[in-house]
Amino acid sequence: MPRLSTSLLRNAKAIDPLLPSLLRPCRTLQAAQNELRWLREHVLGDHRTRNHTAAHQASILRRLVRDRASGKPLQYILGTEFFGDLEIACRPGVLIPRQETAASITHLTHLLLTCGALPRSLRVLDLCTGTGCIPLLFRHELLSARNDTRLQLLGIDISPSALALAKHNAQRLTNDTPHISIEFLRSNILSTAPPDSLAHTLTTHSQPTTWEILISNPPYISPSAFWKSTTRSVRGFEPKLALVPPALKPGIGDTEQGDVFYSRLLAVAEEVGARVVLVEVADLEQAGRVARIVKKKNVWDGVEIWRDWPDGHEEEQGGGDEERLGCKILGSGNGRSVVFWREEGRAWLGK
Amino acid sequence: MSTLPWVCRNCLSRITRPTFRRLVRYQSTGTIVASRESIPSGLLARARQIAVEHKELTDKLANDFDPRAARKVGEYGPIVDALKAWDNANKSVAELTGLIHDPETDAELRELAADDLSATRESLVDASQSLTTSLVPVHPFAHLPCLIEIRPGVGGSEAAIFAGDLLRMYQAFCNRHGIRATLLKYENVNGTQEAGLPLSEAILEVGNEGAYGMFRCEAGVHRVQRVPATETKGRVHTSAVSVLVLPSIGENSLGEEDINDPESDYYIDPKEVKLEVMRARGAGGQHVNTTESAVRLTHTPTNTVVSMQDFRSQPKNKEKAWQLLRSRVAQLRREKREEELTALRRSVVGVAKTGRGDKVRTYNWGQQRVTDHRSGTTVHDLDDVMGGGQTLEKVMDSVRTWLMEQDVQALIAEQTTEKK
Ligand SMILES: C[S@@+](CC[C@H](N)C(=O)[O-])C[C@H]1O[C@@H](n2cnc3c(N)ncnc32)[C@H](O)[C@@H]1O
Repeated sequence: MPRLSTSLLRNAKAIDPLLPSLLRPCRTLQAAQNELRWLREHVLGDHRTRNHTAAHQASILRRLVRDRASGKPLQYILGTEFFGDLEIACRPGVLIPRQETAASITHLTHLLLTCGALPRSLRVLDLCTGTGCIPLLFRHELLSARNDTRLQLLGIDISPSALALAKHNAQRLTNDTPHISIEFLRSNILSTAPPDSLAHTLTTHSQPTTWEILISNPPYISPSAFWKSTTRSVRGFEPKLALVPPALKPGIGDTEQGDVFYSRLLAVAEEVGARVVLVEVADLEQAGRVARIVKKKNVWDGVEIWRDWPDGHEEEQGGGDEERLGCKILGSGNGRSVVFWREEGRAWLGK
Repeated sequence: MSTLPWVCRNCLSRITRPTFRRLVRYQSTGTIVASRESIPSGLLARARQIAVEHKELTDKLANDFDPRAARKVGEYGPIVDALKAWDNANKSVAELTGLIHDPETDAELRELAADDLSATRESLVDASQSLTTSLVPVHPFAHLPCLIEIRPGVGGSEAAIFAGDLLRMYQAFCNRHGIRATLLKYENVNGTQEAGLPLSEAILEVGNEGAYGMFRCEAGVHRVQRVPATETKGRVHTSAVSVLVLPSIGENSLGEEDINDPESDYYIDPKEVKLEVMRARGAGGQHVNTTESAVRLTHTPTNTVVSMQDFRSQPKNKEKAWQLLRSRVAQLRREKREEELTALRRSVVGVAKTGRGDKVRTYNWGQQRVTDHRSGTTVHDLDDVMGGGQTLEKVMDSVRTWLMEQDVQALIAEQTTEKK
């Protein structure tokens, strides 16, 4: 990481003595100023600190700025992150939802809502659900456009703290809607045998065994990328369980370990009879590898890669990526998800 | 009626007799001979023409319904009524005058007629005024809420301090009048929201209906002359702050049709807007947990750029950026039209221009006075002005009346040139 210039630090200090330390995690003055404002609003507005004396509030603010300067994510300090239109509660120990994930989900629901062929009843399975942000946003987007679709949503995670938070979020963000249900269950996606396996979890909780839509943002960072390309704030404060897949066998290669979840996710997609599948990936290369396995299966009718902003102008083509990966690539930004479908799924996506 | 200037209805009610007399005096020095009771011939001709058109349209509507014609009939109605009232009053005055001058009239009747004449003359004055004002079209956005954008201009930190003073002046003014005003964007030089610090940019949203008509007169460069707090040698500095007033098109203030109607100033073809979102640096996704949610919109045909990053939520930043973009593009379009109009008017009457680049008002601390350069009004209770009090209202009133006079003059001039 490049060093911050002394003139930038001096400017920041002239504006507010608290700013220079925020420049470390934020890098730009504008971002640091925004964060300082949000932190200040938090201290002045939060019910726990609202009625403190100004001096007490100032000392709390100084402490929060110190926490932030040490790399603690702002979302853990403020307790929430925006995901599409939703403000999702966040806690240390559970991965913070990312804007790019929200962009993929919004685009997916947009396609489903505009296809004109969506069935009256839809089941959506989200594997590795974390805060529960994906099924909650899916529900929100669908509900704000139409009220006549029966929706059954299920989020799966291995981490009890993630499940507790997901349930908390569901309670905060949903009201009783008779034709929509949302639940969260614990299971280990990588396990194929009872009592941990997904199939077992579904049957013991009398859940359906078929799901039309499967979504997952699984851990996808390889051990070497974890050291090389994650920021200090991610590495030091977010749960590694959510980021790096386990080494399933001794001597597993670095890239292979990063890809561990995808072969399991593909198997589950077939087991539950999914018609549309969206899985998030780390970059274009991983997307290409996943797309290749999808094609080899010979059960899917189509596959494409979406970038960070799938509905954006397609500005970053050119490099011959489509030919090289043998797959259509949509939008702008980094390679972010692989989307595939079969049978009715094609019409639902308007493909 | 497309080349006529705009004026807001609020202002029309403010033509008080004295100002009207001033206006009429101005007219009488020109080629148009007018008195308090008569209507400039150009305007009268226009009104008659409208009455004819109104009749044709009404006849047409009797046979088959046409929404456009119906709308026109609705628009013309008040003008036709005002013309009728003016004709009636005129006829009565003529009859009464005739009676008085008729040698046959007996003394008693003449006295009665003379009595009546003064009352009838009054009603003719009223009728003249309503006819003139009914012909001046209402500013199409006068009914909307507005955005007041305040930015320091020349004068460094003193300008930034005065920008903050102006913001508080408008906030106090709104407060006093029970008008809902919310800060949409506020940045002092610290990037924080604390009051009392020099301001780098503020956008105040005034939510009331008719706010645009009310604050339109505040647009322009406001100049301050005082000894800055930071000045050690006691020298007076002159600094400037620019105030931009835009009609605001929040969710409710404009109907769907205004946003979706390609004819509307507020229509923006989404294909002509480039949306950029602040991207996480590097790999993105799980690798980074940035809080940056800035959104930048570029309207390519006019090269208007709007960026918004005040909210943590990206959709919220996007929504607000669209709102700002619509307002700014609409303003550009109007300015362009108005510029063409001003050029036309200048060639005729030499009307002063009132764009964003012009110095409109001076606040002088040493003399404790405020002078508006458009209406020529000077007031002395500087503190009351800065506190958003009655004195400020008085100044704003004077500008609205001035704006209205400009419009009426231009209207008369246009009618005259059209006839030539
Ligand atoms: C990258 S996070 C995604 C969270 C959330 N879906 C989002 O987009 O913000 C991955 C999640 O997978 C969960 N996880 C890790 N290993 C798992 C496993 N073997 N079975 C089920 N969930 C697992 C982690 O607890 C974590 O919540």
